[in-house]
Amino acid sequence: MKYIIIGEAGTGKSCLLHQFTHNAFKEHSQHTIGVEFSSRTVKLGEKRIKLQLWDTAGQERFRSVTRSYYRGAAGAILVYDITSRASFLNLSRWLADARALGSPQLVTVLVGNKSDREDDREVEWAEASRWAAENDVHFLEASSLTGDNVEAPFLLCARSILLAIESGALDPEKAGSGVSYGDRALRRVNSSSRLSFGSLSGGRRKGAVKLHLPGGSKCC
Amino acid sequence: MLPSPISRVNSSASQQPNPLSIRLYKVLAANFDDDATKAAVQTLAELYGPPGHGASKAKGKQVQRDSGGDHEELDEEDGDDKANGTVGTTRDGDKTAVSSVIETIPGEIAAKARRGLRRDVENKLAESSRRFLAAFSEVDKQLDTLQEHVGAMRTRCDEAQSQLRETNDSCRSLLDRAGSLREQRQEVSTRQSIVTAFLERFTLTSEEIEAIVSREVPVNKRFFKAMDKAERIRDDCRVLMAGEDGPTKAGVDIITKTSGYLEQAYEKIFRWCSFEFRQMGRDSSVDVHPSLREAVRRLRQRSELLTEALTTLGQTRQSTLLSSFTTALTRGGPSGLPRPIELHAHDPLRYIGDMLAWVHQAIAAEREFLEGLFGVRAEEDGRMVGAVRQFTQSEEEEWMSELMDVAVGGLCTPLKTRVQQTIRSQESSITSYKITNLLQFYMLTMQRTIGEKAALSRVLQDTTDFAYSVFYEAIGVQGRSLSAVTLDTDDTSLTPPLVILDHAQVLREILLVYESSLGDDIAFYNKNRTTERNQEQDARRREAAAEGCHSILDKMVDPAVEMCIVASETKQRLVPNWDREVFVVNVMTYLQSVLEPFAFTAEKQGFIQSLVEGRMMQLIEDHYTNVIADTGLGEIVEAWKSRKANEPLSHLPAASGTRLQAALHSFSLWLTGNTIDHPPRLAQLLVQSLATRVHRAALARLVHTYRWICDEVRKPENKYEAASTLLGSERPFGQVHLLWQIFGIDEESQESKEQEKLTF
Ligand SMILES: Nc1nc2c(ncn2[C@@H]2O[C@H](COP(=O)(O)OP(=O)(O)OP(=O)(O)O)[C@@H](O)[C@H]2O)c(=O)[nH]1
Ligand SMILES: [Mg+2]
Repeated sequence: MKYIIIGEAGTGKSCLLHQFTHNAFKEHSQHTIGVEFSSRTVKLGEKRIKLQLWDTAGQERFRSVTRSYYRGAAGAILVYDITSRASFLNLSRWLADARALGSPQLVTVLVGNKSDREDDREVEWAEASRWAAENDVHFLEASSLTGDNVEAPFLLCARSILLAIESGALDPEKAGSGVSYGDRALRRVNSSSRLSFGSLSGGRRKGAVKLHLPGGSKCC
Repeated sequence: MLPSPISRVNSSASQQPNPLSIRLYKVLAANFDDDATKAAVQTLAELYGPPGHGASKAKGKQVQRDSGGDHEELDEEDGDDKANGTVGTTRDGDKTAVSSVIETIPGEIAAKARRGLRRDVENKLAESSRRFLAAFSEVDKQLDTLQEHVGAMRTRCDEAQSQLRETNDSCRSLLDRAGSLREQRQEVSTRQSIVTAFLERFTLTSEEIEAIVSREVPVNKRFFKAMDKAERIRDDCRVLMAGEDGPTKAGVDIITKTSGYLEQAYEKIFRWCSFEFRQMGRDSSVDVHPSLREAVRRLRQRSELLTEALTTLGQTRQSTLLSSFTTALTRGGPSGLPRPIELHAHDPLRYIGDMLAWVHQAIAAEREFLEGLFGVRAEEDGRMVGAVRQFTQSEEEEWMSELMDVAVGGLCTPLKTRVQQTIRSQESSITSYKITNLLQFYMLTMQRTIGEKAALSRVLQDTTDFAYSVFYEAIGVQGRSLSAVTLDTDDTSLTPPLVILDHAQVLREILLVYESSLGDDIAFYNKNRTTERNQEQDARRREAAAEGCHSILDKMVDPAVEMCIVASETKQRLVPNWDREVFVVNVMTYLQSVLEPFAFTAEKQGFIQSLVEGRMMQLIEDHYTNVIADTGLGEIVEAWKSRKANEPLSHLPAASGTRLQAALHSFSLWLTGNTIDHPPRLAQLLVQSLATRVHRAALARLVHTYRWICDEVRKPENKYEAASTLLGSERPFGQVHLLWQIFGIDEESQESKEQEKLTF
């Protein structure tokens, strides 16, 4: 699954990602130049899902470069800084970009980063939550510093994408969907399991196969 | 509880009388002093007593017979005796009665009795003996038969024994043989287990062979296990044969056979890998099955097979990537979303950016795939591609970069063609420059990711160079076009002409692009200039940045400067009263203002500044000349300058006291006039500060001139009458410091600053 991590410069995108992939806070983080790639495999229920993570530079001058990476992303992690109102006010622009350039079923998770700095908070949880609801994106607050809630947005995003696949809205077999089943063997397993993506990709039997995720407790 | 009398009789008949007789003898032999004996004897006496005692005798006989038949009766009697203790006394009475019988012949009765008794007893004994004999003869008869049987049996037994002996004899040899056989068997089974162990160690089971050979069995754990064993067998054999005994036939056989299987195993791996690799091409999967990874690892033992298989892989990946690229370019994502990249071909930056981003992402995925295939996970998951990669030259790394090169290599040509086409079709040098920057950015990114030698890196290098050359060519053309420009002679304005404005606009945008592209780090360093190291790096980067834009500035600024100078000269010739100096300074300062926001243009700014400075000196000179003429002091100064040696100045006709008076008056008027603060010429200068500077410098010189005038007037040898009055009659009344004040110039600073510059 391909994810892009977007948001204003300095909101802590690279730190969030570093915490997610290394389980550690990235000290002395510098501005990202262009885009950086990393990956991590997560377990969602019984599934092992490889996430290809594209960390983008938030600085304006890289906008033209980073925009090209939205193409075909299945998930977007949209990051703002709860201690910076400006980073929150610009969200609409980021989201519009992502929706315009990403795949149509792009699943977006809004992350209010730096939740450890409660004292400097400039964006209330409720306000961000309302914005998220209005714009139809998931929302969480996290801290790349403490690692608090860092995995959740990625897992939440993956789960939503899987749900989209199940509902037939997303076809992983097609190029550019941002999702691919790495291993054919895995796919064979899939096609015989309840989470049968194979059957969906095989034909247009929308709704013919009733699928259910094995409970929300399995992930997130 | 006592047996019934009948049964007692029956039983007594079969019983031996011996106990009775024994008892009798015992009784007879005893000394009969005890009461019991006495009683018995008494009884006997009654039985065998003289007639008259017949009844009692008969009775006695009966009793005798009875008691003789069963001594239990006696016991009973004894019991009775004991029971009835009183009886004794009555018997004692009887005894006295018996002893009272008188014998006819002494002892005759006793003898008779004895005889009777004896007879009875003997009869009885004979009778029993007879019965005994009869019984025994019966027994004897039986015994005879028995003996016969026993005899027969003995014969048999003897026969049996002899047979047994014979058998025993013959058995012994058998047993011996059995024993030795057993030993042999033991030996054999030991050998067998050794052989089994050996076979287990040195041969493959049929299942294992099947796993290796059969096409039915997939390449899986079972296969690898069998292969491991084959390998171990071969190695063990080699070790064994390297021993003192040298190669044995069995050893050689085993090695040959096992090696054969191993070869088949490698072949099988190879076939399977090739097959899988071909599949892999079709559905661009990124996850690698552990078996495949293991297969590749093993195939390294057969480098020619590995090479061949990987070549297949490289080719499939290449064509896969190429077709995916083409799809992304021309058809886009599923159901056309995201839109095909070529849809944006009209937007060159987006077009090229999308293509390069696509390639970058393909490379990242490919790299992941290859790392999975070769089991290289040095930094486990979290490696950042952007980070500079340490190119460790392991075998895997070599393979990976080679495969990457092959896979991505297919994209080079279509990418290059499209990019070059786009570059060529650009009319705007700004876009050209943006493209160049974008290409350079990706070139650096790729170099860091896949190495400088990778085909794609080289292509990017080439296209970047090409883009640069196109861009330089474009700005070169633009610069050269300036030199052909002539200034409009009807235009009286002194502001920079439109061509310059346009040109500067392009320059500004290029510099903006330049700043943001190199900025990488500059922006960061500006923000984080805390440590010395950073400052140092900052400086170095600035230098590098300045270096990089040298040629851009040369190509953009120099022609503009030159055009300004040359064209203005031409115009000046045609329109003499056109203020060229101001125009030139205006254009130059405008160019400077364009460069100013960009720190890395400092050098060029310096160059222009020096030109401006030259013009400024000229302007100051001109302005001073104008000012001094306007003040009216000019004539005096001129006149004085024309004096002959030592001639008093007042004697010069043009500098007579009256003329001086008039000049001072007009100066005084000038001082109160309007132009003193706002000289009309300098108002044309676009940069106000320059105008001020020129004006002030001119005024400062004016002050010096005034002071000089005062000094000269006051000198006696110049023979001005009432010199002080003359000077004091008009402002500033011969007081230089007052003049400074009027001009609003700080005397001290100006004195020192302008001192050297002033020449007379
Ligand atoms: N207190 C706190 N600081 C954070 C947290 N996350 C990031 N930071 C700090 O925020 C700054 C910016 O973090 P980055 O991750 O580099 O920001 P970015 O979004 O990647 O910035 P660009 O790459 O320029 O787009 C750094 O100085 C981090 O130390 C957080 O959760 N808590
Ligand atoms: Mg970053």
